[in-house]
Amino acid sequence: MTDTSHRTYAVVLALVVFFVSWAAVAAKPWATAKRDPQLAALAQREQRLRADARLVQTVVDQRLAAYRVALKLREAQIAQSQARALAVNQTAPAPSVRVVNLPPLTITRSS
Amino acid sequence: MLRRSFRAMGTEIELLLDAPAGTKAEIALDRAEAEFERLEQVLSRFREDSELSQLNRAGKTTDASPDLVRVVELAFKARAATGGLFDPTVHDAVVAAGYDRTFDEVPADGPAAEAGSCGGSVHIDGAAIVLEAGTRLDLGGIGKGYAVDRVCELLAITGPCLVNAGGDLAVRGGSWPVGVSVGITLELTRGAIATSGRDRRSWRRGGDVMHHLIDPSSGRPATGELLRVTVVADTTTDAEVLAKAAFLGAEIDAPRVLVGSDGTTVLAGGLA
Repeated sequence: MTDTSHRTYAVVLALVVFFVSWAAVAAKPWATAKRDPQLAALAQREQRLRADARLVQTVVDQRLAAYRVALKLREAQIAQSQARALAVNQTAPAPSVRVVNLPPLTITRSS
Repeated sequence: MLRRSFRAMGTEIELLLDAPAGTKAEIALDRAEAEFERLEQVLSRFREDSELSQLNRAGKTTDASPDLVRVVELAFKARAATGGLFDPTVHDAVVAAGYDRTFDEVPADGPAAEAGSCGGSVHIDGAAIVLEAGTRLDLGGIGKGYAVDRVCELLAITGPCLVNAGGDLAVRGGSWPVGVSVGITLELTRGAIATSGRDRRSWRRGGDVMHHLIDPSSGRPATGELLRVTVVADTTTDAEVLAKAAFLGAEIDAPRVLVGSDGTTVLAGGLA
C-alpha cells in the first residue's frame, strides 16, 4: 500500500513537473514581444512632431529677438521725432498780430 | 495776388495765394479746393454718407480715416482743456435747437425748441472709434478749422497764402490785413484767426432767437452779453476752440476782439 501510494505520488509529481515545464517552454519567455506597427508609427510621428516643435520654437525665438531689436530702434526713432517736434514747437514764434490802419484784404466774420 | 472763392462746408471759402499766375498756382488752388471737398465728405454732419454721419448712426467704426480720428481727438482734448465749454457732443442739442439741416435750409421760424442733451465719452483705439451710447458728435466748427489748417499747409508749398473759411482763417508767410470788426483791421503775419458769434447763424423757435453756439451746461444756445468774439492763435483749430470758450465766458490767454450786444468793442490779450 505504501509503495503504491509512493509510486502514484511520484507519477503525479512527475506529470505536474512535466506540464509546468512544458507550459514554461511554450511561453517562450526569452523571445521579445513583437511590436505593434501602429504604435511604432505613432511613436515615430511623435518624435517627428517634437523635432518640428523644437524647430518652430527656435524660429519663433529668433524672430522675437529680431522684433525686439526693431522695436527698440523704432521707439528710439519715435522719441527722436517727438523731441524734434517739441523743439520746433518751443522755438516757433507765437502768432504775430497787430492792429493796423490798412484796408483789409479779407474780412473774418462769425463762423 | 491770386484769389479763388467757392462754397464748401456750408460757407464761403476764400483762398489768397501770393504767387505768379500760372499752371503751378492753378494746380495748388485746385488741390486746395479738392481738399476742402474731401474733408467735408469726412466731417460733415449734413451729408448722410459722410464718415461722421455714419459714425453718429452706428455709434462706432473700426476703420475711421486718419482725419476723422485726428479731429475727434482734437475735439475731446479741447473739451478737457476748456473744462467742457467746448464740447463736440452738442450734436443733439444743436439739432433740438432747430439746426438740423444745412443753415440755408433751416426755417426762419418754428415751434418752441427743447433743450438737447450733451455729454458722453468716446473711446479711440487706432482707427477704431466707439461713442458712448446716445452720444453723437458735431465737428462743424473744429472740423472747419482743421480743414483751414490743412489747406493752408498745402497752399504754403506754392507761396505765401491766406485761407478764409467764413471766419476761420489762417495765413502762412507774408503779412495779411484782415478786417475783424467795423473799423478794426488786424495784420497777421503768422497764425490763425477764428470768430465765434451769434450774429450770423440765427433763427427763431417759439419766438426765441436761437443760434448754433450751444452752452453744454444747459443744452441750449448760449445767452450772454457777447455778440461775437475773434481770437488769434497758432492754429485755426486752437483759435476756434478758444473763440467758443471766450464766447461762453472763459478768460483766455490770447489776442482777441470782443464785440458786445450793444456794439461795444474791446481789444484784449495784447492787442491795442
